[in-house]
Amino acid sequence: MHVTLTVWQALLIAIWVALVESRILGFATLTMRFSPLMTGMMVGLIMGDLRQAMIVTAAIQLVYMGFVAPGGALPAEPSIGTAIAVPVAILGHMSPQGAIAIAVPVALLGSYLYQFRFFLNTFALKSMDKFAAEGNARGLKFSIMVIPACISFLLFIPLIFIALYFGAPVISSVVANIEHGTIIHVLNSVGGGLAALGIAIIMQVIGKKTLLPFFFLAYFMSVAFAKLDINMTIYAVFGAIFAIIYVMLTSRNTENN
Amino acid sequence: MSETADIQATANEAVQDNTEHRLPQPDKITNKDLMKSWFGWWWANEVPHTFDRMLAPSFCFGLIPTLQKLYKDHDELAKAFQRHLLFFNTQATWGGGTLTGVTISLEEARAKAMANGEEAISEDMINNTKVGLMGPLAGIGDSIDSGTVQYIFIAIFLPFAQKGNFLGALLPFLLFSIATFTYGYYLTKMGYTLGRNAAKEIMTGGRMAGIIDGLGVMGLYMMGILAGQYIKVQSYIKFSINGKKFNIQEILDTIMPGMLPLLVVLGLYFYFQKQGLKITRGLLYLTGILIVLSIFYII
Repeated sequence: MHVTLTVWQALLIAIWVALVESRILGFATLTMRFSPLMTGMMVGLIMGDLRQAMIVTAAIQLVYMGFVAPGGALPAEPSIGTAIAVPVAILGHMSPQGAIAIAVPVALLGSYLYQFRFFLNTFALKSMDKFAAEGNARGLKFSIMVIPACISFLLFIPLIFIALYFGAPVISSVVANIEHGTIIHVLNSVGGGLAALGIAIIMQVIGKKTLLPFFFLAYFMSVAFAKLDINMTIYAVFGAIFAIIYVMLTSRNTENN
Repeated sequence: MSETADIQATANEAVQDNTEHRLPQPDKITNKDLMKSWFGWWWANEVPHTFDRMLAPSFCFGLIPTLQKLYKDHDELAKAFQRHLLFFNTQATWGGGTLTGVTISLEEARAKAMANGEEAISEDMINNTKVGLMGPLAGIGDSIDSGTVQYIFIAIFLPFAQKGNFLGALLPFLLFSIATFTYGYYLTKMGYTLGRNAAKEIMTGGRMAGIIDGLGVMGLYMMGILAGQYIKVQSYIKFSINGKKFNIQEILDTIMPGMLPLLVVLGLYFYFQKQGLKITRGLLYLTGILIVLSIFYII
C-alpha cells in the first residue's frame, strides 16, 4: 500500500492540528480536541473527499465517546490520531475499523506530544514573571499568548507534516513497536509523578503548616476510598464541612479566652 | 511567600495595608469589563498551559484589562499581576467564569479600600478564595461541559456524520461553543455579584482570619484528594531470593497504601519550604529523578 499526500495537503492538515492543539482558538478548541469530528471534516475538505472522511471519522468518534479530561490531561489526543488516520484510510481505501487501528495508537502518542507542550511552555514563564514584576501589561499579554502559541506551532506543524508526508503507516508501526517499551514506561512514570508538582506548589502557597493534617486526612480518605469511586463534588462537600467545623471550633476557643 | 506564614502575619498585613499611603481611586467596573475579562480567559484558556502553573497565566490574561482599571498605582498593579500568575487550575466556564467574576469583585473591594485608606482584603484572602473554589467548581464543570453537554450535541448529530454529512461535525462544534460561551459569561456576572456581597459581609463582620483559615482547610483538603487521585508513582522492583519472589510495591502496600505518591508530594513540599518557591528548578529536578528511576524500572 503506497500512501502519499501532496506537500500542500500535508502542510494544511498540519497547520489545522497546530491550531487545535495550541488551543489558540480559545475554549472552542475543547470539542475540536476531545472529538475527532472537526479534524475529520477539515481533512475531508483538504483532500476533496468530505463524504468518506466523515464516515471514517464517525467510526473513530465512537471510540472516543465519553472522553473527559479531569484536570486537563486527556489520555489520548483524538484530533491528532484522526489527522493521521483519515488520510491513510481515504488514500488506501481502508475500512473505518482499519482507520481506528491507526488512529488509536497515534492518538496515544499525540497525548505525550500534548504534555510535552506543557514542558516547553515553561520557557514562557520566565518572561511572564519578569513582565508582571515590571507591571508591563503589553509584555505580559505577549508572553502569555504569543510565546506559547509559537512554541506549539513549531512543535506540531513539522511533526505532523513529516508524519503525513512520509507516510502514516510507518508511524503507526513504530508506535506499535514501542508500545510496551521503556520509552512509554518512562513517559508514563514522568507524567504520573509530575502531577505532584502543582499540588506541592499550592500547598506551599496556602501553606499554613498547622492546617497540614487536613491534607493528610484528605489524602488517606482518597486512598482508602479509591475503590468506591467517590465523586469530586462529594469530596468537596466533605472539605467544606471540615472547614466549617474547624472555623467553628477555633472561633469558640478564642471567645473562651 | 513570607507573608503567608501564619495567621499573625495575615492580620499584620491587613493592618499594614491601611497605614500605607493612599492610592488613586479605581475606575468603576462595568458589564463591558466583565465581558472583556471573561473573553480574555476564554480565549487564553489553555494556550500557556504548564505543569507548574497550570492555567494561572490564562486567568491573569483575562484579568489584565480589569486590573489596569482598578490599580492606577504601578506597584500595586505589578503585585496584582504577580499574584494571579501563581498556580491555578480549573474548568473554563463553571470554574473560570465564576472565579473571574468573584476575583474581580474581591480585587475591586481591595482597590477601593486601599484608595479610601480603609482595611483592605488581603492578598491571601484573594488567593485562598480562588484555590478553595477552583477544585470543586472544576469537578462540576468537567462533568457538565465536557462530560455531558458536549456529548449530548455529538450524540444528536453523529448520525449525520455516519451518512457522510459534514453537518455532523460542524453543528455539535458550533452549538457547544456558543452555549458554553454564553453561560460562561452569565456565570462571570453571577460570580461578580456574589463576590461583591460576600466581600462586604466579610469586611463588616470582622471574620477575615476565620474565613482565610476555613478556605485554607478546604484548599488543603482538596489538594489531598487530588494528590490521592492523580499522582501515580509505584515501584516496579521485583526479584527473587532462593525461589521466594519479592514485589516491592506489594510489600509497600501492606505497610501503607499510597506511600510513594505521598513521599513525592511531601518531598516537593519540604523542598519548596526550605529553598523557597523555586518552581522551575523543582520541575527539572523532579523530571530528572523520575526519568532516571523509571529507565531502570525502579518506578
